[in-house]
Amino acid sequence: MDINVKELKKNAFRYSKVRGETASRIRITGGKINAKVMRQVAEIAEEYGDGTIFITNRQGIELLGIPMEKMGEVNEKLQPIIDAMGTNQEERGKGYSASGTRNIVACPGEELCPFACYDTTAFARKVEHEIFPNNRHVKVAFTGCSNDCAKVRMDDFGIIGMTEPQYDPDRCIGCGQCVKYCEKRSVGALRLVNNKVVRDTDLCIGCGVCVTYCPTRAWTRSKERYFRLTLLGRTGKKNPRLAEDFIRWADEESITKIIKNAYAYVEEYIDPHAVEGKEHIGYIVDRTGFEEFYKWIMKDVQLPEKAEVSSHMYWGGKWYDRSNELK
Amino acid sequence: MGFVFSRDGFAEVIRQLGSRYRIYAPVLKKGEGRFTDTDVVRYDYVKNFDEIELEKRSDYSFKEILLPVSGTLFYFTEDKVTEPEMDDREILVFVRSCDLHAVKRFDQIYLHNGQERDWFYERVRDRLKFVLIGCRESFDDCFCVDMHTNESTDGYVFSVEEADGEIYSDLKEEGLRELFSGNSVREEDKAPAHVETNKIFVSVPDEVPVSICKDKVWDEYDSRCIGCGRCTLVCPTCTCFTMEDIYYSDNGKVGERRRVHASCMIDGYSNVAGGGEYRKKHGERMRFKVLHKISDFKKKFGYQMCVGCGRCDMVCPEYISFSECINKVDRAIRSAEDGKEAQA
Amino acid sequence: MSNPYIPFASKILDVKKHTQKEYTFRMEYHGEVKPGQFFEVSVPKFGEAPISVSGIGDGYVELTIRRVGRVTNEVFENYVGDSLLMRGPYGNGFDISIFDHGETLVVAGGTGVSPVRGVIEALAASPAAKDTHVIVGFRSPADMLFRSDLEEWKDKLDLVLTVDGAPEGYAGNIGLVTKYIPQIQLRDVSAAKAIVVGPPPMMRFSIMGFLDMGFREENIWVSNERKMCCGLGKCGHCRIGDKYVCLDGPVFNYTESKNLID
Repeated sequence: MDINVKELKKNAFRYSKVRGETASRIRITGGKINAKVMRQVAEIAEEYGDGTIFITNRQGIELLGIPMEKMGEVNEKLQPIIDAMGTNQEERGKGYSASGTRNIVACPGEELCPFACYDTTAFARKVEHEIFPNNRHVKVAFTGCSNDCAKVRMDDFGIIGMTEPQYDPDRCIGCGQCVKYCEKRSVGALRLVNNKVVRDTDLCIGCGVCVTYCPTRAWTRSKERYFRLTLLGRTGKKNPRLAEDFIRWADEESITKIIKNAYAYVEEYIDPHAVEGKEHIGYIVDRTGFEEFYKWIMKDVQLPEKAEVSSHMYWGGKWYDRSNELK
Repeated sequence: MGFVFSRDGFAEVIRQLGSRYRIYAPVLKKGEGRFTDTDVVRYDYVKNFDEIELEKRSDYSFKEILLPVSGTLFYFTEDKVTEPEMDDREILVFVRSCDLHAVKRFDQIYLHNGQERDWFYERVRDRLKFVLIGCRESFDDCFCVDMHTNESTDGYVFSVEEADGEIYSDLKEEGLRELFSGNSVREEDKAPAHVETNKIFVSVPDEVPVSICKDKVWDEYDSRCIGCGRCTLVCPTCTCFTMEDIYYSDNGKVGERRRVHASCMIDGYSNVAGGGEYRKKHGERMRFKVLHKISDFKKKFGYQMCVGCGRCDMVCPEYISFSECINKVDRAIRSAEDGKEAQA
Repeated sequence: MSNPYIPFASKILDVKKHTQKEYTFRMEYHGEVKPGQFFEVSVPKFGEAPISVSGIGDGYVELTIRRVGRVTNEVFENYVGDSLLMRGPYGNGFDISIFDHGETLVVAGGTGVSPVRGVIEALAASPAAKDTHVIVGFRSPADMLFRSDLEEWKDKLDLVLTVDGAPEGYAGNIGLVTKYIPQIQLRDVSAAKAIVVGPPPMMRFSIMGFLDMGFREENIWVSNERKMCCGLGKCGHCRIGDKYVCLDGPVFNYTESKNLID
């Protein structure tokens, strides 16, 4: 059997420990798929694979036990799914054109969740459209609010929804429920002064809990959508760590541009000797320094006036290449 | 006398009325609901017919004009009390039949309970005239028919409802005849539409024995209800308020006294100085509210308080149904009576 | 049209300090007022508090204010020697003509003495004084109110003064008021009248005591303390069942109050 493994991986098939077998990796951008497409996925699994489906951590789907010689047929069968998801592609009928940039994750978002501040899936698909296909290993995730159910702080680019609570004192009865719930379910940025609510605008994380619990509509959501952008969280062997805040009260356009810009930076600085041409973006930044990365990603980005950018970025996490000791 | 208008024709009527009256009507507030991209319908002043929400029932009631959510009663300085200035134009308030019945409940408390008439209420009330929004269909949680508020035959200046792209109006005030006929398509007597049946039925007990207060029917609400008070804040017959003082100066001698909506479901309502609270459990608060609506008010004033608008059901974040609670109370009373008979 | 919400300024004529926490303010007031009625006292920066009338005289009323809330704190700190804003009087108050003949037992606890002080004074001055029995209870000797009144009443009527607890060596009565209720000697309990005012549990147990002794329900009177806000039957806070405490009370006959469930 003669298989170009590098091409196979790029084509979103998996290298399996069972010789001659592979798994087909299907992108479900933003984690949402309609039932009809899901049925097509199931049909491929039954027809070409061993009938089992693995749901990945990043909301993708892997169809297991596919003989390598069936990859071409599987790719053809994947076409309606790729079309339905609106995934960019270099050549029709040939499956996915890359696998480096991972499936973009999103929490259920505003369509379902009472706390979500925006349509996570829609934003995920918009960014996917801008950056995929690309072989560079980049992880992007979207979460509707600061609860971060999508765990975006483990990704290179994490987008957390925010709303700027709008307060109408004339509709406020001073019941204190927003104060109580902000305290119990969020950060405690509200207090009652003269029976009206005062918001600590610096402490407020824009989660919208006050809006959800206000019984009179004294609190409402801002017409504008805002986001917190977190950078360079990661798992892995050397230095797993949580992402750090980069911008708060950012807008959709700037975020899209920043993520797109990151690819040019990777092309410039990736280790030419990286195994399989794969180096995580965070480790590249560790080498070049954040300032250089900042220069590249902020190119032509016009942040709105409200946006605040972190002046220094530091990450934590244990460096296993320096010490593997337990405390 | 009835008139049929095109939308444009009726819009002209509203435009012209707008120069004589302030118009207060349900308005769809986009994006101002609890959740992202959800709306709320609440009352506001409007200038144009297009701003008025005639389709949906308002989530919050018209009562906010009679009892502002948070309103200044007066300002004080060391030696003087001043009442706030007020626009002295008359106000046209767009309401449905249930709400028009609710006005009577408000008047009962603010004008006729006790010897004093409420000074602040009365000066607003005297300026109000009502426009009846006809109901061609019942909303999902309405129970106006069982509360006998589904129809209003008077108490309004004119009615309005939209059907087949036309506006129907029943005019009661002779003085507006010229304006109406001049802008209408034709004259045609149209009694305002009202519903004859709802999807929700309630069986309000005739007599509510004191023993119901100790019944276990209230227990489930101890844990189900979160005491947020939305049910009362949207209610067109809940009239409670709390007064509070706000001081501008450090010596505390210059400031204002306000009153804000109060709710017997919210913490603090029954607190007395020193920390006593009469109804701590949410089930007790539910009992206090429900029995007021279907029994206590009637004992004092001779008719039911609840008008069956269903807003409380719609707004409850915990899916507690007030109408279902009435039915549960009714069943509890009946089964207690059956038990007694069986014992006898 | 006058505005009943607007308070009037009343001069503080005198201040009597009972304890660290309780003072009686003698306020200038010309007008009809009955014991058991109350005023809404405004205190800048904090709002209003309902305060029972504890004494009535020519050109004044007395208000005994306990420092229990934000509003009353403010009165104690800043307004002695000045004036207070008040509205009222509100509520029905006690009808003295019911009690000024025949036997009456008055039981009062703590600040509950305030609303009945006027009743006791009226009875002490009436021919019914010898048939008037009063049980007054306080938490401790340090909490006693109206000490000089208690001295005077002792001579005019049958007074039992008790405290819930006291430091060692205290010579007076110790025990809850309910301990002393059955000890009251009455000629004809079925015709006697009883009044009880105090904290809710004390009232509940006292009423049980009255009924055990043979008092008729219709001869028992209570004064209910509730959160009163407007005093005009509008704000709703004091409503219990179909009664508004500020209009129909705070004084209720027991036949009515027994059916009022908070």
